[in-house]
Amino acid sequence: MNLKEKLITALSTVPLIAATTMDGSCAAGCPFYGLSCSAPGRCGRFTDSGDGICDLSQSSITASSNTQSGSSSSSSSDSSTVSGTANSKTSSSTDVQKDSAGSSNPNGDSSNLSSSNSSNDTNASVGTDHGTGIDGSNIPSDGVHYNVLPVSILLIGGYLFTFYLFKKGILTQKKHRRIWNLLVTAGYLGTGVTGVLLIVLINLGVKTVLNPSLIYWHAELAILMVIGTLIHIHLYWKPFKNMFTILFGFKNSKKGKKIVKSENFSK
Amino acid sequence: MVYDMILPALPFIVGYLITFSLYKRRIIKKSVHVNVWNMIIGLAFLISAGAGFILMVLLELGITLPIGQPLLYWHVELGVTLVLVTIFHFHIYWKSSKAMFGSVKRRSEL
Repeated sequence: MNLKEKLITALSTVPLIAATTMDGSCAAGCPFYGLSCSAPGRCGRFTDSGDGICDLSQSSITASSNTQSGSSSSSSSDSSTVSGTANSKTSSSTDVQKDSAGSSNPNGDSSNLSSSNSSNDTNASVGTDHGTGIDGSNIPSDGVHYNVLPVSILLIGGYLFTFYLFKKGILTQKKHRRIWNLLVTAGYLGTGVTGVLLIVLINLGVKTVLNPSLIYWHAELAILMVIGTLIHIHLYWKPFKNMFTILFGFKNSKKGKKIVKSENFSK
Repeated sequence: MVYDMILPALPFIVGYLITFSLYKRRIIKKSVHVNVWNMIIGLAFLISAGAGFILMVLLELGITLPIGQPLLYWHVELGVTLVLVTIFHFHIYWKSSKAMFGSVKRRSEL
């Protein structure tokens, strides 16, 4: 196996490493962000261990309440905390917040959801836009982590690796640029497509099980897009600097000196 | 609140057509046309990605701020612009884009 083949093998393991560093949080969980569903449920993934409320939604609430446990009161065993950003207030009263989805469902009709759970709604004080259910507090927060750091480190590490190869002459500049241009294109394409799909779904008021996955991949691919764009700027640093020269007349000091020197020389 | 897709895109489509026609009629240099749109894509990226990043951080920390709603709105609207300007970017650098995707095909043909 020659050096090139070894390198290709090493590079092909990058996605594998990335996959292993990420958890499977995008796949499982309550698609309605912790809405406590009773049988038969809303999404078709209803699972119940006996209390009549979907386990997926309960695990989602538990996960988010764990993150808030530092600030929440320890008043009683079943003290309620609401999921994520939906409502940062804690109440020492009664049962689990039933209608966190009324304020945290990202695209759904919140008025619909809250009315169905109005009997259990003890702390639904966050205002919602009843037209579409989209408001500031509607950002999903079911304890999904977007792996910002692992993905960023992987990408930066990958770039440093290919940059090293390019500097050593193993990779040509053309190939080096091509790899990162393809990656940044993939990032833009993925983020754009998932983003447009989300807008369409939100505007149409369509709630699907796919929505949380779409949001997850939108965020993950956005990391690739952002890091890729920074790398793209680094790859095309000279044209980037020239942009300011052409548009605003800023001149590179080195260039200016060179011009002065050449002018002196010609004189 | 419904997200507009056509309204934020329209001025950019018109703007691109204007600068493109000015360049074709040799009223402005190609470098000006290219750099104007590089600057616009940079600004759209900066605002959209910046807002998205702040939203993600707020989400990860579980913080709710009143600025969340307008931030989300402008993240989406500038995102629409970014998608459009990215298409223009591909149009401007069409030859190198084709080379980026096409060289594998050419190699296999050889």
